[in-house]
Amino acid sequence: MVSVGPSGELCEKISEISGQNPFLCMQCGTCSASCTGIGVMDLLPRQVVRMVQLGRREALACRSIWVCSSCLACTTRCPRGIDIARLMEALRAINLRRGHEVLSPERIPAALLTEVPQMAVTCAFRKLSA
Amino acid sequence: MAEEKEMVSIYIMGKQYRVPYGVTIMKAMEYAGYRFIRGCGCRGGFCGACGTVYRKPGDFRLKVGLACQTVVEDGMHLTQIPFYPANKATYNLEELTPTLATLLRHYPEMTRCLGCNSCTRICPQELQVMDYMAAAQRGDIAKAAHMSFDCLMCGLCASRCPAEIVQYNVALLARRLYGRHVAPRAEHLARRVEEIKAGKFDAEIERLMKMDRLELQKLYDARDIEP
Amino acid sequence: MKLPYFPGCTLYTRARGLDHSTRAALAALGIELEELPNWTCCGTAFPLAQDSYIGMVAAARILDSAAQHNGRLVTVCSFCYHVLKRVNHSIKNNAEARRKLNDYLEQGYGGETVPVHPLEILKHDVGFEALRARARGRLKGLKVACYYGCLLVRPAAEMAFDDPENPTIMEEFAAALGVEPVHFPYKTACCGSYQVLNAYDVVASRGREILAAAAAHGAQVLITSCPLCQFNLDWLQGRGEGTVLPALPVLYFTQLLGTALELPAEGLGFESHYVDPRPLLLG
Repeated sequence: MVSVGPSGELCEKISEISGQNPFLCMQCGTCSASCTGIGVMDLLPRQVVRMVQLGRREALACRSIWVCSSCLACTTRCPRGIDIARLMEALRAINLRRGHEVLSPERIPAALLTEVPQMAVTCAFRKLSA
Repeated sequence: MAEEKEMVSIYIMGKQYRVPYGVTIMKAMEYAGYRFIRGCGCRGGFCGACGTVYRKPGDFRLKVGLACQTVVEDGMHLTQIPFYPANKATYNLEELTPTLATLLRHYPEMTRCLGCNSCTRICPQELQVMDYMAAAQRGDIAKAAHMSFDCLMCGLCASRCPAEIVQYNVALLARRLYGRHVAPRAEHLARRVEEIKAGKFDAEIERLMKMDRLELQKLYDARDIEP
Repeated sequence: MKLPYFPGCTLYTRARGLDHSTRAALAALGIELEELPNWTCCGTAFPLAQDSYIGMVAAARILDSAAQHNGRLVTVCSFCYHVLKRVNHSIKNNAEARRKLNDYLEQGYGGETVPVHPLEILKHDVGFEALRARARGRLKGLKVACYYGCLLVRPAAEMAFDDPENPTIMEEFAAALGVEPVHFPYKTACCGSYQVLNAYDVVASRGREILAAAAAHGAQVLITSCPLCQFNLDWLQGRGEGTVLPALPVLYFTQLLGTALELPAEGLGFESHYVDPRPLLLG
């Protein structure tokens, strides 16, 4: 697991990278209800935000941040105006900047790589590779 | 102190050397005591073996050139990057198709391009590296091949790439695909091969084989030279 | 009218149908698209980390190169449109972004280019009334699900394209062609996007939901402007993983436009679809 100093530091770092204030969240769960990837997430988006508020490292180590498709449904609907997609990106960025990635070119099967439109490959590398 | 004036100071890997004014980096390094076993090839600016990174005083930007072609300047800091141990795919060209899928299968990382243009800025051949990679990324093999035609494979583009792409090897694959599978076959060459096989030139070869050295030399000196 | 055009990488390969049908349909309506002389990938993803500008450089350079032509830059792929529009918004409204990105550009750029989507051109330049007059009755009665996906409409403030929850521009467009747009609740749902490479289950389950909802509301075809939505929804069915029978052809809106304008079908790129739309459209 990627480690980030004391818990307050994690929250501060995420606020800095995302430009968002995680403490605006009132845990209503609209983000979770709107989420595309919810079916394969280990933490609901609402829970990810809670972990960030608490400075818990589960937020960095969960699967949810990697199956987010950056569709901005959560961002659009958040009644507190938090750009949740940016929080998710910040959690990915902290991982990626330390070399922790979930998608590397050599791990993509050749048949899939050559079948999908190249925009999917480009986008997936931007989001998921270091 | 006439001699003093004709010397300049350069810094090879941070160490100062006094070398003659007006010589190339390669000559200067040899003057300073370096002996090239690798990182030096044709000495004529064609082979790309002597890529060198340098910086002039007062400029934060790194510049590049071939050591055999770039003249030293006073205060220059330099080091050679003659080889770059970058990813190189192996393939059987005959089995490949000239498509984006082929490029991606061998170099999937090419889609990681960020468009920063560092590759174009560093290319000692002044190629539009980022633009030929853009063509490759959309499967335009012909454009990638044409735009990269003058590449010397020095590897400096790859050394600067934040996305860790190997531009010159992608371009090599594009040129090979173009040459083998896209460019029209040279019909006149095929005709000539047939003529040779049919024995059209046998008599002439026979005549040449029988000539002595002087006769051959005379013939050689009087040959047609294309303008 | 001539307008500069940024096709985007995928429109040179898998989404040739989108490129060809866009050029052909707009040309038939008197709008000639002139491809930018040199262009790179737009980057596909707008960087959401505030401290990351490098991911915007490519889009900034594309916008900059278009600024020399005239105000507008046409782009049709939802990803490209999203990225160009948001990067332009950043350059215009964020002084740090403007300064940092300009360090990488050859000319100075301040956000002068206006990225436009063909749907906007059809609505504002051609006009849906004029389009209604041009469209032949060929597709009359065809039931069409208008699928926007995520990137075209979100985030509303930056995209300024249409209502992010209930956009209607594509339905208005479809109605002008004489087809019958069906409203279905998943029109702004995400298809799973690039997760096709990482979490395929997301694409499979979301894709099935989107297709099933469209079919349940009577749709015979689904239209989109995104090559990745098109691929994900079409490929899923091509692999036999769709649950909708008969399979729902997934078209680019420009292919529907070209068909309604009775342009030659060979130029509209139907041959690369997994679910062949031709029997339904041209049968």
